[in-house]
Amino acid sequence: MATVESNPSTERDAALRTVAAEFSQRIAAERAKSRIIRLGPFLVMIFLVIVMSILVPGFFSFINLVSVLQQVATPLVLSMGLTFVLLLGSIDLSLEGVMGFTGSIVALLVLNTKNSLDLGVLGILAAVAAGTLFGLVSGLFHTRLKIPSFMVTFGMGSAITGFGILSYRGIPASIKDPMFAQVASGTFLGIPLLTWFALVVFFIALAIERYTAFGRHVYAIGENESVARAGGINVDRIKVTVFAWSAFCASIAGVFGAIKLNIGEVIISSGFLFSTITAVVVGGTSLVGGSGGVVQSLVGVVIVTIIQDSMILLGVNAYVQPAVQGMIVVAAVALTVARGRKLIFK
Amino acid sequence: MTRRTTGRVVVDNLPWLLLVALVGVFTGINPRFVGPFSLANIFSVAAPLLCLSLGATFVIITGSIDLSVGAIVSASCVIYGTTFPVLGNWSIVVAVAFGFLAGSLNGLLFTWLKIPSFMVTLAASALWKSVALILVGGGAKGIPMELWKGLKWAEFSLGVVPILFLVALCVFGLYLFIQTKSALGRAIFAVGANERAARMFGLNVNSTKFWAFAMSGAGSALAGAFYSIELKTSLATIGDPVTLLAIAAVVIGGTPLTGGRGSVLRTLLGALLVVIIQNGLNTVAVDPYWQQIVFGAFTIVAVYLNSERGGRNLIVK
Amino acid sequence: MEEVLFRARNIGKEYPGTVALSGVDLEVRAGEVVGLVGENGAGKSTLLRIISCVEQPTTGSMEMRGQPFRGRNLLEANQLGVGMVFQEQSLMKNLSVAQNIYLGRERGFRRLGFINWGRMNAAGSRALSAIGLKDISPARKVLELDFATRQMVEIAKVLNIVGDRKGGCLILLDEPTSVLNDAEIRRLFEEIKEITRQGSSIVFVSHRLSEVIEISDRIYVFKDGRQTALVDKANADENLLYEKMVGRSTSGEYFKVNRQTEPADQVILEVRGLGVKGYFRDVSFRVRRGEVLGICGVVGSGKEEVCAVLCGDDRPDTGQFFLDGTECRFSSPADALKAGILSVPKERREEGVIGTLSVAENISLSSLGAVSRRRLISGRALVGRAKDWIRTLNIKTSGPRESVETLSGGNAQKVVFARVISGENKVVILNHPTRGVDVGAKEEIYQLIREMTEKGIGVVLLGDTLEETISVSSRLVVMKDGLVMAEMDAPRLAKPSQLDIVRYMM
Repeated sequence: MATVESNPSTERDAALRTVAAEFSQRIAAERAKSRIIRLGPFLVMIFLVIVMSILVPGFFSFINLVSVLQQVATPLVLSMGLTFVLLLGSIDLSLEGVMGFTGSIVALLVLNTKNSLDLGVLGILAAVAAGTLFGLVSGLFHTRLKIPSFMVTFGMGSAITGFGILSYRGIPASIKDPMFAQVASGTFLGIPLLTWFALVVFFIALAIERYTAFGRHVYAIGENESVARAGGINVDRIKVTVFAWSAFCASIAGVFGAIKLNIGEVIISSGFLFSTITAVVVGGTSLVGGSGGVVQSLVGVVIVTIIQDSMILLGVNAYVQPAVQGMIVVAAVALTVARGRKLIFK
Repeated sequence: MTRRTTGRVVVDNLPWLLLVALVGVFTGINPRFVGPFSLANIFSVAAPLLCLSLGATFVIITGSIDLSVGAIVSASCVIYGTTFPVLGNWSIVVAVAFGFLAGSLNGLLFTWLKIPSFMVTLAASALWKSVALILVGGGAKGIPMELWKGLKWAEFSLGVVPILFLVALCVFGLYLFIQTKSALGRAIFAVGANERAARMFGLNVNSTKFWAFAMSGAGSALAGAFYSIELKTSLATIGDPVTLLAIAAVVIGGTPLTGGRGSVLRTLLGALLVVIIQNGLNTVAVDPYWQQIVFGAFTIVAVYLNSERGGRNLIVK
Repeated sequence: MEEVLFRARNIGKEYPGTVALSGVDLEVRAGEVVGLVGENGAGKSTLLRIISCVEQPTTGSMEMRGQPFRGRNLLEANQLGVGMVFQEQSLMKNLSVAQNIYLGRERGFRRLGFINWGRMNAAGSRALSAIGLKDISPARKVLELDFATRQMVEIAKVLNIVGDRKGGCLILLDEPTSVLNDAEIRRLFEEIKEITRQGSSIVFVSHRLSEVIEISDRIYVFKDGRQTALVDKANADENLLYEKMVGRSTSGEYFKVNRQTEPADQVILEVRGLGVKGYFRDVSFRVRRGEVLGICGVVGSGKEEVCAVLCGDDRPDTGQFFLDGTECRFSSPADALKAGILSVPKERREEGVIGTLSVAENISLSSLGAVSRRRLISGRALVGRAKDWIRTLNIKTSGPRESVETLSGGNAQKVVFARVISGENKVVILNHPTRGVDVGAKEEIYQLIREMTEKGIGVVLLGDTLEETISVSSRLVVMKDGLVMAEMDAPRLAKPSQLDIVRYMM
C-alpha cells in the first residue's frame, strides 16, 4: 500500500491560509465593483456636461439649461416609480400605458372641449387614483397568480392603453382649464413649476427609500427574497405596494403630459417607457434587484436628458434617439451584470 | 410529481374547445362569419401572425421572451417595400435574411453579455423601430403601382385559403420538423425545462438559445414581408400592436411562459384563435378599442392557466 | 453550570428511502459549548435543521428550559429562544449592520412611519457589544465588511433575536470556521466564550476536530444517523474521535470488491497543479484506464469543485489537466462531452435528469448522434435504445415514454447512468452516485461501475460515504480545505481502513 503524504505541516498551514485569503479577495472585488457602480454615473454626468458644453453649440446657454430642466420633469417622476420596481428585481412595462390613460381621462374630467365636467384639482386626483388602481391590480396579479412581472405589466399596459383610447373614442379632448396653461408655463425662481413638482416627488421617494422600514425591505427582497420571507417580511404586500407606487408615479407623469400638451391622448406617453428604463439602469440601479436607488436614478435621468437634448441641438434625426438609448442601456447592463460563473438568465 | 388531473386535461385541450366554441358563437350571431369572404380574410390575417409566432414559440419554450418581434416586423416591412422595386420578389430573401441577422443579434447579446432577454429584446425593439422609421422617412411609402403585377401571385387562393397562408403553413411545417426531428428541437425543450441539467448533459445552451432567437427574427421578418405584400406599402408602424398578438397566440395556444413545454402546433391553433377573436369581435361590431383590452386580459389569463403552479417556494420576479 | 437548557429525546428523521437520524438524544447545559462531529451524512446537519425547526422530526421530542419545544419554522424557533447561523450567509449586503440586525423588527424605532436610525444604530451597538464586538460601526453597510466580520454580525443578529428573554438561549453554528483565517478563528472563539459567560449555549458543528476539541465542553460523535459517543473535553482526543466516527464495515460483497479490476498502465486523465481561487489549489493526480480514483474529503474540502472543473462546469484559475495526452480547455460541459468526459451529477433532480422529458430522451440526450440518421432523430431508434437500457439495467418504469420525474430515486439514477454510459466516454465522473438510492439499486450501481472499469473507462468517484469510496476505488486521494493531503492505493485485498483516511480529512 503506497501512501504518499504531501504538504508537511507548515507548508500546509500557509496554503490553508491562502485559500481563505483568496476567498476574501473575492469579497474585496465585489466591494470595489459596487463602489464603481455608485460613483461612475455621477462622474459620467459631470463629464457629459463638460463635453456637451464644449462640443454642442448652444448647450451651455441659459435658455437651453432651463429647457433641460423642463425636460427632466416627466422622466424624473417616472423613474421614481420604476426605481422601486427594479430594486425588487422586477420590471414594469406598463408605464406608458398608465401615463397615457391618466393623461386621457384627466383631460376629460377638467374643463375641456368634449364634455361639461369641470372638476379641477379633484379631477386630477381622481385620474391619478384611477391610474394607481391599475398598478395595484397588476401587483395583485403578479403576487397571487405568480405571473412574471414583465408579462403582467405588458398585458396590463396594453389593456390600460385600450381603456385610455376607449375613454375618448378616437377624438381626444382639449383642455380649457386655465390652471393648466398657467402651470405649464409657470416658473419659480427661474425653474419651471413642473420640475418643482417632480422634485417634490423625488424627495418623497427619497424619504421612503431611506427613512422607512418599507424601503429597507424592498432592498432585502431584491437581494434575497427567500431569506427576507423567512425573516417575517410580508413580501407580497410590499410587492403590491411597489407596483401601485410605480403606477402612481406614472399617473402623475400622465398629468404632466396633459398639462404640457394641453390635450388628453394616449400618445403623450410614447417613448417614455424605454427612456425611463435607460435612465434608471444607466444611473446604476441593477436589473436583478437589491442595489441602486432614487438618487442614482436622478443622475441617470439627467444623463439621458442631456444626451437627448444635445442630439436635438445637433439636429440629429429624432428617430435615432431610441436606437441610441437602446445601445446605451445594453452597454450599461452589460457592464454591471454580475459575471457569475454559473448564473442562469432567462 | 405531476399527474394528469382532470383540471390539467381540460386546460391542455382548452384551445381546441375555445376554437370550436368561439366559431360556434360568432357564427350564431352572424352566419356570414363562416362565409367564404370572412374565412379568406381570417386566413390572410393569420398568415403573417402565424409566421411571427412560430419563431417566438421556440424562444418562449427556452424560457425567454422576445419583445422585439413587432419592431422586426416593421423594419422588415419597410425593407421589403424599399427593395421590391429593385429586386422584385427576391426581396423576400433579403427581408428574411435581415430578420435572421436581427434575431442573431438578440441571441448574441443575450448569451454573450448575459443580459436578461426582456431587456435585450426591448432595446432591440427600440433600435429596429428607429431603423424602420428612418428608412421610410417617417410614415409609409407605397409600392409604385406599376410594380403591382409582380405581386399578382399573392392574390391567388386555393378555395378560401389564400396562397400566403399556404406559404405560412409550409413555414409551420419547417418549424414543426425542426421541433420534432432535430437535435436543436430536443435541446430547446431541454434548456427550457431545466437549463442547469441541459448544461450538465453536455448540450450547448448558448447555441440553442442563439438559434431560437435567430429563428424568431427570421419568422418575424417573413411576417413583415407578408404585410408589405398584402398592403403594397412600407409601413413603419405595422408592427406596433403585433408583439402582444404574437405572445397572445403562443400563450393562448397553450405554451407556458415558464418554458420546457409547448409546441408550434399549439401556436398554429393559438394564432387562428387570436385572429378569430379579432375578426369575431369586429363582426359582432364590438368597439375596436376593446380589442386591446381583451387581448391584454386573455393573455394574462392564459399565462396563469398554463403556468406550473410550482408550490409555495416558487419565486417569481 | 449544571442546569439543562435544551434537551432532545429519541429524535428520529426519515425521508422516503433513507433514515437520516434515529434514536438521538442530546443535552445542552446552560453556558456550555457542545460540539457535534461526524462524517458527511452522519446526521449533524439534519439534527441542526430539526432543532432550528426548519424541518420536523419524524419521532422524538424536544424541551427548552423544561418546557416542550416545537416550532413550525425558523421564526417560531427564534421566538422560543433557538437561533441558527447557517453556512450560507443571510445578511443583506446593501443594508447596514443595524438594519440587518433589526430587519423585520423595526417597529420599536418607528415614529409617524419614519425610522429613527440614530436610535436603531444605538441599539445595534448594544447588540454588537453584547458579544464583545465593540469596533464595528452599526451604520456601515454589510457590503463593506469582510467575511469574518459578517459572520460575527450574523451571530450578533441571531443572539439579539433570540436573546430578548432571561434564561439564556441556544445558538447553533454550522461550520462557522471554514473560510476564516487563524486570527479570525481566535476572534470567533472569544465571542463564543463571551456568549457562554452570559448564560447562553452554543452547539458547534465543524469538521475541524482540533477546533471542536478546543472550544467545546462536551462533544457528541455521530455516525450513520446515530450517536456513537459522548466525550468530555478532558478526555477528548482526535484519535478517539476518529475511532468513534467510523464504524463496522459492510461486507466487501456488497460493494462487489471481488470484481475490482487491476487498472491498466495507460494514464487516461492527468491533473497537474489545478486550482480555483477560494476553493482548492495545487491538486495533482493521475487516473489510469480501468481505474476508479476515489476522492475523500468533507464538505468544503474542495473535492466537489475539482470535479466541477474536470467535467467542464467550472474553469480553473491555475494548472492544467490532460485527457489521453491532450490538454483540456473546457468552457462548458459541452466541450467536456465532446472530448469524452461526462459526469453523473450530485443533484439528480436539478442536474442529473430533466424531469419533464421522457426516459428515452433522458437516456439519449448526451449522445443524440447515435440515434440519428443524417442529423435527423429517429424516434424508433430513440425508443429502441431506451428499451434496451430498461431491460439491461432493470429500470422500473412503465415505458420509454414515461416522464422521468415519476421514477423513484434508484430508477432515475439508473437512467442517468444509462445516459452517461451510452456515449463512448473515456472518463466518467461519479458525484455521489448512490445518493438517495435504495439498497437494491445501489448494488446494481456498484455492478455497473465494475463493468465500466472492465471496459477501460477511467472513473473519478466522490462516494456517498467514506466506506463506499474506499471499497469501490482502486486508488484514493484525500483532500482537506482545498489541498491534497494524501494519496494511496486501495487494492482489492488490502483496503486501507476508514480510520487511516479520516485523520487526513479532518
